[in-house]
Amino acid sequence: MTRWRVGLHLVLLAMLLAGAAPLHAASTPLVVEAALDREVVAPLLDAFRAAHPDIALDFRDRSTLEVDARIGEADPAPDVVISSAMPWQMARVNQGYARRLDSPAARRWPAWAKWRDEVFGFTFEPIVMAYRLDLSRHMAPPQTHADLYTLLTTEPGKLEGKVTGYSPFKSGVGYTLYQQDARYTPRFWDLVAGMGRVNAQLEGSTRAMLEGLSEGRYWLGYNLLGSYAMLWAQQHPEVIVQVPRDYALVMMRMAFIHRDAPHPVAAEAFVNFLLGREGQRVLAGQTTLFSVRPDIVGPYTAARLRDQVGERLFPIPLSASLLAFVDPQRRAAFLARWRREFRRAE
Amino acid sequence: MIEVTGSLKRRLAVWLLVTVTGLGALLMVEAWMSTHRAAERAYDSQLEAAALTIAEAVQWQQGEPLVEVPAAALQILATRHQERVFYAVLDADGEAVSTNLPFAIEPAWREQVTSAPMALTTRLDGAAWRLYGREYDSAGWVSQEPVQIWVGHTRGGRVALADELFERTLTRFVAMVLLAGVLMALALRVALGPMRRLRRQLRHRDADDMRPLDARVPEEMRELAQTLDHLFARQRQSREELLRFTADASHQLKTPLAGLQSTSELALQSEDPADWQAALTAVHEGAGRTSRLAGQLLSLARLRHLGEADAVAPLDLAAVLRETVLEWAGREVARHHDLGLAELPDGPLWVCAEGWAIRELLGNLIDNALRYTPPGSVITLGVAVHGDEAVLFVEDDGPGVPADTRERLLQPFERGGRQDTDGSGLGLAIVDSIARGLGGRLTLGTCKPHGLVVRLHLPLCDPKETP
Repeated sequence: MTRWRVGLHLVLLAMLLAGAAPLHAASTPLVVEAALDREVVAPLLDAFRAAHPDIALDFRDRSTLEVDARIGEADPAPDVVISSAMPWQMARVNQGYARRLDSPAARRWPAWAKWRDEVFGFTFEPIVMAYRLDLSRHMAPPQTHADLYTLLTTEPGKLEGKVTGYSPFKSGVGYTLYQQDARYTPRFWDLVAGMGRVNAQLEGSTRAMLEGLSEGRYWLGYNLLGSYAMLWAQQHPEVIVQVPRDYALVMMRMAFIHRDAPHPVAAEAFVNFLLGREGQRVLAGQTTLFSVRPDIVGPYTAARLRDQVGERLFPIPLSASLLAFVDPQRRAAFLARWRREFRRAE
Repeated sequence: MIEVTGSLKRRLAVWLLVTVTGLGALLMVEAWMSTHRAAERAYDSQLEAAALTIAEAVQWQQGEPLVEVPAAALQILATRHQERVFYAVLDADGEAVSTNLPFAIEPAWREQVTSAPMALTTRLDGAAWRLYGREYDSAGWVSQEPVQIWVGHTRGGRVALADELFERTLTRFVAMVLLAGVLMALALRVALGPMRRLRRQLRHRDADDMRPLDARVPEEMRELAQTLDHLFARQRQSREELLRFTADASHQLKTPLAGLQSTSELALQSEDPADWQAALTAVHEGAGRTSRLAGQLLSLARLRHLGEADAVAPLDLAAVLRETVLEWAGREVARHHDLGLAELPDGPLWVCAEGWAIRELLGNLIDNALRYTPPGSVITLGVAVHGDEAVLFVEDDGPGVPADTRERLLQPFERGGRQDTDGSGLGLAIVDSIARGLGGRLTLGTCKPHGLVVRLHLPLCDPKETP
């Protein structure tokens, strides 16, 4: 299995080097611009290639901001766009960049996880805290947001420089998560102030936070993408993943077919695969991205996560309210306050 | 002659169809417009609400408007149909303070919104949008300039709602038409029920049943039923007249025949040839009278059953009169009377009649006058013009007839109480029948100092107008 995957990667690499020259003369190219770690999503891509050997999939893994820029600027436009920066994806759809998908899989897709039948949230990724095993030697690891706040206020000395979180300035996902947190409780700002008090280190990606935890630079991480953290924890036993027990945000990767997709048929095949039983089964069984569909069985499904965590999962709603997060003035005001609160202690 | 001209049901159905189609088309146009209006109104109020929510979030800092777009406003804008949404907050110069799409709000629209809020439909970026703009006064520490809030969304929800409303209206209308059609058919069946009952009653009627109808009919059929009743009554009357006439005729013929029988019986018992001679003479005269009676009866019957007027040609009444009087004046029976002609008008008098009928009529009148007046009486015939009628008269200076019996004279077998003549009492009845047949009328009057005048009024006609 692993060898097979490596082989495919080599093929992909060869294709990229050859200027995306098609493997077979008859194959259709398909360009997917995604803010989604290749490592996490690889089983899904492999399954798609196996199911559609006639489509030459070109999966380009980039940061959310790069992906967003490619939507408007790339020429030719990408076929499919996947990103975890939900407000930006929503803004692009509102600008009319998405093409409507009319297929059985799209129609069956739950209404709360799609918008206008144009953009689909196809994963169900809980936002988690992660801590290093060392932490438990010094203090009780936090299980809720309140626990975290208590630790930040009671143990500022021990935690000085050992806490990490997203930088809302550098990461769209991090900004979105903080915005969503702030909608639920005004005490969120106390938490930000607490992070500022212990001089929390702000990273641009979950991967950087996880690497810091494994290296021992950080003891505690807040608001990590569960999908990456769980996969990391499987390979790095020193990292423990904690789904908050008071409430856990859930983020969805949003995928849409570009309005100007050069290969719309292949693009539809890809998105239908993402939403279809087969793709979702791979998500549920072989990735930590979690399947949205209630009829899929596997270790990583929304239903199973609900069973484990209870009804405390709060998916970021896939609605027009997301558009408010990308309003420049609102964003500027939010970031200004965040900066102010973070430096409150000084 | 019965000619079937279409069916009532079909005619009603066609009328119903035509009116329903015409009215329905108008109704549907109206419904289409009103459903679209309703949809626009419903969704415009959401635009208003969203604009208000955004307006609430506008604040002033250092003389600059600052707006944190509320997420709720965007959800209100998106509606449950997940529309694409647009918002823009413009300062007094029309510069966008905050906006999410690069739509340019035209200066004309901005100008209009300064006086009153405005909603408009336009095409932007390849899609139909509904925009709503409103100006809000705002107070800041430094600046008090108004801001304009523009919000908008695509029209998918409006179209869907309007279509849904219209479809519902259409469905209801079609159902109503179908129901009305069925009810109409039933109502027609019920309404035509009395007609069917009447038909059945008429069909089952005996040929000689002339009783009035016994049927319950609605107001609309009252006239028809009454006409039928009237027809039955007339038929009954004419049948009764016929029966009476037959009975009278038989009775009249029986008397002279009985006389003949008794005379011949008496003669057969006698041995005297002189008696035989006398009896034979009596029998001869009696047979003559009887034969004449039978002839008159025959002619009366024929006149009564005269069909619709045969083709009649214009006839000069004066000429016929002159001719007939001259003929009668030469006869044996007129020997004892002074039969004369009054002065006739110049030129011909045209009436529409058959010659034989006029001659028969005149003959009867003259015969009557000769019979019922004493010898030596003066009988004068003449004709005059009164308006558009020709009046032919026969007057005598005989005893006359009392006024109360005069009208009865026109009945068959009526002799005005006179038993002293050998007349049959049929003459005037025949004359009357002929007069009716010709479209005229007969009147009886008295002469001074005594005597009877019989007048026949006949309509004049144009000789060139041959029917």
